[in-house]
Amino acid sequence: MPTKAIYLSLLIAFVLQMMSWPSWAHPEFVLLVLLYWLLRAPEVCNIGTAWMVGLLIDLANGGLFGQHALAYTLTAFLALFYQRRLILFTNLQQTGYIFLLLVFNQLLMILLQAYRGQPDHIAFLFSSLISVVIWHMFHVYLLNRER
Amino acid sequence: MDFQSSPKFFIRGTSILVRTVICASLSLVLMASDSRFQYLSEIRQVGMSFLYPLQWLSNRPEAIWQGITEYARTQSSLRSELAKIQDQSLIMSADLQQLQALETENQHLRELLNLASTPDIKVKSAQIIAILNQQFTHKVMINQGENAGVILGQAVIDAQGVIGQVTRVFWFSSEVTLLTDRDFAIPVQVERNGLRAIAYGRGAKGYISMPYLPANVDVQQGDRLLTSGIDGTYPQGLLVGEVNLVKTSDNSPFAIVHAVPLAGVHNFRQVLLIDTNEKSTALKEVEKVMLEDQMQKQKREQRNKQLLENSQEHQ
Repeated sequence: MPTKAIYLSLLIAFVLQMMSWPSWAHPEFVLLVLLYWLLRAPEVCNIGTAWMVGLLIDLANGGLFGQHALAYTLTAFLALFYQRRLILFTNLQQTGYIFLLLVFNQLLMILLQAYRGQPDHIAFLFSSLISVVIWHMFHVYLLNRER
Repeated sequence: MDFQSSPKFFIRGTSILVRTVICASLSLVLMASDSRFQYLSEIRQVGMSFLYPLQWLSNRPEAIWQGITEYARTQSSLRSELAKIQDQSLIMSADLQQLQALETENQHLRELLNLASTPDIKVKSAQIIAILNQQFTHKVMINQGENAGVILGQAVIDAQGVIGQVTRVFWFSSEVTLLTDRDFAIPVQVERNGLRAIAYGRGAKGYISMPYLPANVDVQQGDRLLTSGIDGTYPQGLLVGEVNLVKTSDNSPFAIVHAVPLAGVHNFRQVLLIDTNEKSTALKEVEKVMLEDQMQKQKREQRNKQLLENSQEHQ
């Protein structure tokens, strides 16, 4: 059952991410869903999943093959490394850690694409902020539903 | 409803560090091979045709919203728009009559002067289906691909002017690089005095610039830039942009010239693809001049030879 839920939610997140958002407010839906499953079901959703999803995003974006894959892999590693401890954290602490992961991912992407010049705005931090707000809302909602 | 099972006591799978190293090195290999070699384009093409339905799906909300706004327009606004369009079409038809007369006259004069004739421009319409979300590039996807006869390198325009160029062709869609992308260069000509230059996209800043013009160059603010047609990709005389900044700097021998694109480069709308089978007039003329040069050279050589032979005979 979790396998199906994982792939369905990733697919939905993928479609959401491909919509034309303004570049300063582009929530990282796929990464959020990925991180959620990495923390909740690390037996099913692991580094390999993150890598495959990153490859798909590279394909859809038309960018260099493997750049999102690399960034997602490393972010997933950081998430899994503290997974046992993270699920014991309070809600807010988790959100804070997720924010750090999102910023890490954005910085990695910037580094990987740095040979192309400056980013559009300093927007990358702003989009992490929006993503983490979405994370927090969904997380609280899901936890409430479970209780 | 926690999906995490209890940790296994003895057998642990591959550690996450090993998995990370494997995946990271795989992606590094992919990145290197994608930037250096061409063979990943096949994989990309197959993948893109699988992703097309998803792309179509993610384009739906915007398309539906457009449909709703179309549907919700009031009668009065439609009526006023109709009146405006009728006015416009009247003015345009008057212009068109003049244009036809001018065209025949131009053709005639060109024949008299022994110049190449201008080809007709053939266009195909397409729709932007996705904006590729990358931080550093300005690219969009359109809904025409190899199945509709799109060719790599085709010019893309809208009603106002040049938008960009087709840089990747997939089966059902193709990728268009916009005028403002950092990798983009387009040969242009200043409308006022015919000065030729190459304009480059400047990425994030949203304008194009002409970097290698001398400091005393005759370009003014408000000059319009047209395609020069010398590259053979763009037909001659398409509107590219308007110069909005001309500056000289003390530490550079070149002028700083910036222009803003006039086409709706970043708007969601219909675009036109130009068939580039016909060579542009300018290119034809250049070829013609080169051919004539060669002929003259040959003639001169022949004459020199004859003169030499004659002089030898006299001796």
